[in-house]
Amino acid sequence: MIWKKRFKSSKPSVSKLKKTPAGLLQFGGCFPTMSRLYSIIVPVVFLLNGLTAQNIIPEWFEKLPDSPKGIFYSVGYSGKYQNQSLAREVAISRALTNMAKQHQVRLIFEIEEFADGRFRLLNPSFELSYDESVLLNVSTNYSPVDSSITNDGYYILIACPSIERRLHIPSNDKTWEKQPEWTKALPDSRRYNYGVGIVSKYSSWVRAWKDADEYARFDLGKNIQIEAQSVHTAKRDNRFVVESKIIRQSYDMTLKNSIIIARWYDQKNDTYYSLCRKDRRSNPY
Amino acid sequence: MKKLIVIALLIPLALMLVNCGGGKPKAKMDDIPEWYLNPPKAEDAIYEAGDAAKQSMGLAKEAADARARDAIARTLEVKVSNMLKNFMQESGIGEDAEALEFTSSVSKQVANTVLRGCRIVKREMKTEGALYHAYSLAEYNLNSLIQETLNEARKQKALYNEAKANLSFDDLEKEIQKLEAVGQ
Repeated sequence: MIWKKRFKSSKPSVSKLKKTPAGLLQFGGCFPTMSRLYSIIVPVVFLLNGLTAQNIIPEWFEKLPDSPKGIFYSVGYSGKYQNQSLAREVAISRALTNMAKQHQVRLIFEIEEFADGRFRLLNPSFELSYDESVLLNVSTNYSPVDSSITNDGYYILIACPSIERRLHIPSNDKTWEKQPEWTKALPDSRRYNYGVGIVSKYSSWVRAWKDADEYARFDLGKNIQIEAQSVHTAKRDNRFVVESKIIRQSYDMTLKNSIIIARWYDQKNDTYYSLCRKDRRSNPY
Repeated sequence: MKKLIVIALLIPLALMLVNCGGGKPKAKMDDIPEWYLNPPKAEDAIYEAGDAAKQSMGLAKEAADARARDAIARTLEVKVSNMLKNFMQESGIGEDAEALEFTSSVSKQVANTVLRGCRIVKREMKTEGALYHAYSLAEYNLNSLIQETLNEARKQKALYNEAKANLSFDDLEKEIQKLEAVGQ
């Protein structure tokens, strides 16, 4: 029923065809040619997308350099734009948002799993919010440190608070390195808490990194503190065993100074990894 | 021509049947991480593993992590209540009466705890057909548990001292009230 409705609404009406002079008439008249064209264009676009996956990246995008005391770095990125200044604008905007999240972010996470012999339900929910005033403060007090344009997009590294002097950071463009150890096992440190975000099979690498970064923050939160509740029951009689479980885990916390310090892209499996770090000494959390 | 059509119709049908009979792809034993089968043991930490197979990598990771943490929570704080019900049920009359004995056992595990510093220290993602199979190993450091308990004890002690001080002030106030009553 719903499908029908959608189908009807997307179909151009006859009256519209009559009223519109060139565009729609052409659309109606050339429909078989268009469909043939689409059948060629769509695979080509997918092929090009695969070929132009993120291959070359600035060094600081893969591994964030250590910043001088009191200074924070943040990375921004944007996809392909015909207008370079627009690409820069989008990348800076993303870097500022990342910086605001890095300073302070509120995370609300909940996962529920229900399972019995016949039925299984998994429901995770993620809620992330940051303060507009923090973003405003960051926006008025930052300076660009380095930027890079590759075939895939525009990258920028910013520092906050704003600095006068030139910072020495590795600014070469490079390909992805071998799989780092942190994608398999979390770094062991008394000083820092870590979290890893993983996403896979995204058509846009910009969107993929945004999500991987956010999931890394949520993972970090889970490693710090989480409320865990569960009920497991197993009912046995002479013939059957019926097992059921209900798991609920949740937290609501404000994270300060959580930094995305490393990223890695698994080209073979089209998977994106982000590593988030937070100093245990900075409070709250 | 007819033969060709019949063959053309039979091939998809055969493929469908093969596909239906295949069932879910199972994990190869070599693919299963060693730490999942035998979680590490340590005096100062608890380790538990969890796994989940899902079509989405993100969901598989979340479910495996949650299951590993749940296992830790249950190890830490498990309230087990076992109920054994034996009952006899008799039906029928006279010689036709049937005595049926049912034994039913219900075990229930309830965990409700706050895990501080429970980390997923190892994680592996495998593909099984169209599914992602995530394996997670959770670690809970008992030192952090001890530290938490000590902090809690200190808080309780502070509260107790405060309550004691309040009690002393109450006593003092009572004594003053007594004196005032005598003075009047």
